[in-house]
Amino acid sequence: MKTRLLAVLLPLVAVLAIAQTQTPSAAPAAGAPDAEMFVGAPKGKPLTGKELDLRTYQVGGLLRCPVCQGLSVADSPSEMAVNMKHQVKALLARGFTEEQILDYFERSYGQFVLLKPKFQGVNTMVWILPVLALAIGVVIVVFKIRKLEQPPVAAASPSVTPAGEEDPYLAQVRELVRGGRK
Amino acid sequence: MNRTVLVVGALIAAAVVGILFIGLGKDPQKIDSPLVGRPAPHFALRQVGTNQIVGLEQFRGRPVVLNFWATWCGPCWEEHPYLVAAARANEQNVQFVGVVFQDTEEKIQQFLQARGTAYPTLVDDSGKTGIAYGVGGVPETFFLDATGKIVAKFDGPMNTAIIQENLQKAMKP
Repeated sequence: MKTRLLAVLLPLVAVLAIAQTQTPSAAPAAGAPDAEMFVGAPKGKPLTGKELDLRTYQVGGLLRCPVCQGLSVADSPSEMAVNMKHQVKALLARGFTEEQILDYFERSYGQFVLLKPKFQGVNTMVWILPVLALAIGVVIVVFKIRKLEQPPVAAASPSVTPAGEEDPYLAQVRELVRGGRK
Repeated sequence: MNRTVLVVGALIAAAVVGILFIGLGKDPQKIDSPLVGRPAPHFALRQVGTNQIVGLEQFRGRPVVLNFWATWCGPCWEEHPYLVAAARANEQNVQFVGVVFQDTEEKIQQFLQARGTAYPTLVDDSGKTGIAYGVGGVPETFFLDATGKIVAKFDGPMNTAIIQENLQKAMKP
């Protein structure tokens, strides 16, 4: 009985399998490009609830709204930014990490989309120049303070003679001042 | 000391002026797409006015002109006749595809009925396809070669000359 059943079922299964592989798909399934194709499988844990909302705001705050003037995706009310925020939320809910999400957006928009520029190429100047300017400023201030703190050079002082005696002219002035007070 | 300060100051000033010169010489609206030279992100979207799903993969084997636009965008109105004319002129060799961005079905249909079309127009309801292509402001057009690689991108309204110039890149064997 079992052998008969197998004899009937096996060819049927084989025919179905062949039909499945040979039938052209009538239409592709609807869908937008998936982030997983570009940044790999999610590396974090899927987020939900308040944590998801908070992280969406935080990650959205790192992305520039492409149609706004200096606004982040988290802060912009534009439709573009709202779509991007939804995308960030969907990716976080699937377990993508902040780094993966930023990589995904950078892949499409370039570094322009990152509000915090990466430490590479010409961007290094953005990080180095302020620190360099500050360091140079500190060096100049320290140098000036030291110079001001230095005591006046003895030889340059006209009020003291080489022997340490008071200048006769200055003594005369003092005498006059004292006389005037009397 | 004074000489040293002068030299260091001059060097810093020269560096700052140099950076400003490079930065100001660029058009801030023209941002090179990192997608040029890469395979076009795959998508399958609904064709406007129907339930038919059209996927980018269907056009593999011939160059594709992928135009992101919207009815609320003035420059899109401006370039539409040029795109339709180019699509008709290159019907045998090139596939033109429109992807409508942040718009309503009703307005898209009204626009197409009034101004005509010669290629499929797809609706990006979620905006995810636009995001995957780094679309900021429409119109933006991507030129794909027969293998599905993005070979050029143009921001802003196109005319016949611009379309043909970029098509040459897409049609190179």
